[in-house]
Amino acid sequence: MTAIKIEHLYKTYRGTDKPAVDDLSLKVDDGEFFGLLGANGAGKTTTLSILCGLRHYTQGRVEVAGKDVARQMDAIRPLIGVVPQEYALYPELTAAENLKVFGGIYGIGKSDLKQRIDELAETLNVADQMSQRIGHLSGGQKRRFNLMAGLLHQPKILFLDEPTVGIDVKSQQTIIDYLRQLHQQGTTIIYTSHLMQEAESLCTRVAIMNQGRLVAAGAPCQLLEQHQATSLHDLCLTLIS
Amino acid sequence: MRKLLTLVYKDFLILIRDKAGLALLYLMPLALVALMAYLQNDTFKAILDNKMALVVLDQDHDNVGASVVESLEQSGLFTITRADSTATPETVETDVAKGYFQLGIVIPASTTDNIRNGIGKSVQYTFSPEGEQPQAQTVHLTIFVDPTTKNSFLASLTSTMREQMASVQTQILLKEVSQQIQAMSPMPIGDVVLPEKLIELDERTARMDASRLIPNAVQHNVPAWGMFAVFFIVVSLASNIIREREEGSYTRLRTMPMPYSYYLFSKVIVYLVICMTQIALMGLMGKVVLPMLGLPSLSFGNSWIGLLAVSLSASLAAIGYGIAIGQVAKTAQQASIFGSISVVILSALGGIWIPMFVMPHAMQIVCRLSPLNWGLTGYYNLLLRGGGLSSVLPQCATLLLFATVCVASAIAYDKWKREDI
Repeated sequence: MTAIKIEHLYKTYRGTDKPAVDDLSLKVDDGEFFGLLGANGAGKTTTLSILCGLRHYTQGRVEVAGKDVARQMDAIRPLIGVVPQEYALYPELTAAENLKVFGGIYGIGKSDLKQRIDELAETLNVADQMSQRIGHLSGGQKRRFNLMAGLLHQPKILFLDEPTVGIDVKSQQTIIDYLRQLHQQGTTIIYTSHLMQEAESLCTRVAIMNQGRLVAAGAPCQLLEQHQATSLHDLCLTLIS
Repeated sequence: MRKLLTLVYKDFLILIRDKAGLALLYLMPLALVALMAYLQNDTFKAILDNKMALVVLDQDHDNVGASVVESLEQSGLFTITRADSTATPETVETDVAKGYFQLGIVIPASTTDNIRNGIGKSVQYTFSPEGEQPQAQTVHLTIFVDPTTKNSFLASLTSTMREQMASVQTQILLKEVSQQIQAMSPMPIGDVVLPEKLIELDERTARMDASRLIPNAVQHNVPAWGMFAVFFIVVSLASNIIREREEGSYTRLRTMPMPYSYYLFSKVIVYLVICMTQIALMGLMGKVVLPMLGLPSLSFGNSWIGLLAVSLSASLAAIGYGIAIGQVAKTAQQASIFGSISVVILSALGGIWIPMFVMPHAMQIVCRLSPLNWGLTGYYNLLLRGGGLSSVLPQCATLLLFATVCVASAIAYDKWKREDI
């Protein structure tokens, strides 16, 4: 089954001639760990926002879980989990209150929600910080709660925008380990990052974007072999330049 | 429904965690209403009880003196002091010159007698015209005027005095004529007596019922600062919306299975509770606390439904305005500055700081452009004019229209932004 299908996608912002996404077409199958890579301004966050229904697109066709993003977003939202790059949490509330609020909006029952929160807190090593206000937590702890908020309803497809940027090594490793676990459990993960080493170790397939265009797509090892590169980092540099 | 309640719970928690913001929402308007009502009390009293100090030296001790003083007292425009027996026209003039009184009247001795003699001789000559027509002696009453006295007061004084003098002259004339006719008539006849007042000017204040509610410092300041408090929530509300956007939680909410209307409704519900409790506290302040400071107690008028309608409409207008600012402003700082300054300007225009009735005519027209003035006028209709629900329907409709336009603009702007950004 296809989790994501993008056909000839264009996105041009008002007041500019150059498209931020320029004729992008790609497919992501169910259960894939898919990396959307590229330098700043490559168009990866714009593409991710279009997939999540946060932005409208200029032209093309986009499907998520077999449903049209332009017309069936209400049916798509319960199936997806989004982990934005910012700490998308309320700093005035405690971690537990934040999760209860987001769980409530997902419509998860009280006891199920409590069980799910406890389970995730245990796995991501933040059980002791549940009663603390988000504003008082470290960057790494906030990132883990940010991830938890997007996973409460056990989404079929998870969108991650730079989930490990700017945090300590320990928190980064905890998140990476959990993402691997999620992938093994069958969750489709769409992930953007500029950390190439991390992407290489996590992704089953990647797409490299430059100036809104897709310049390469495939399994990391396949791409390295095809372009005779030693790492995704080098490959990206070569393709972008 | 559970989703909406969850959002309300979240917004409520965020609000109560911000102790300083909450204190600003409640304590600032309460302090302002107490301070402004206290400071303006004397000014309002001066406007309401604007009487001129007048001294009367009555050396006549007869009809003219008594009738002039009585009519001036009845006019309600003057605080009258009777000069004692040692006073002279010179001392009266000195007292006015020194500013102890704005006006001084001297009614010389024998004024009534001189009028009576003059009229008596004229009447006698009319009935038996022999010899030369008698010349009447003109009676002079003196008015001393402080240069600062308004012409309107002076005009009132002179017209009142002329009216009384004319009345006294008529009475004397009728008496003299009656006596002449009685002397000539073979049959006994009585005096001609005019009824006390054949023509009466019935002056009424235009109000919706006959109740004598007079606007005072409390009745202006409580609803006025209540309006200010309600509209000042735009700062908190707009900042709340922008912080949510800046922190990314708004982005998360937009990816969740929840209609956008729930997001707006939760803000409306939470801030409506804030606005209504603000208004209730302001009312309580006017009823209970301000009288303890020696100020008049607030009267709530005759229509609780009317009060509820104006309060709800004004609150929704303020919330709509806050949502619009929250959507359009780019940063919390921008929203805070624009929100607070715009509310201060709208309140100044709306007659909150300085009541509309003391403004120049042109400004009174400009006043009507401010939503705070629509709310204040609604409260005036209820509290001062004793109106009911129907008397505030135009104001409620305008406020609700304003709220609708604001929210519709905010939604349209959000949609336009999402199409591009």
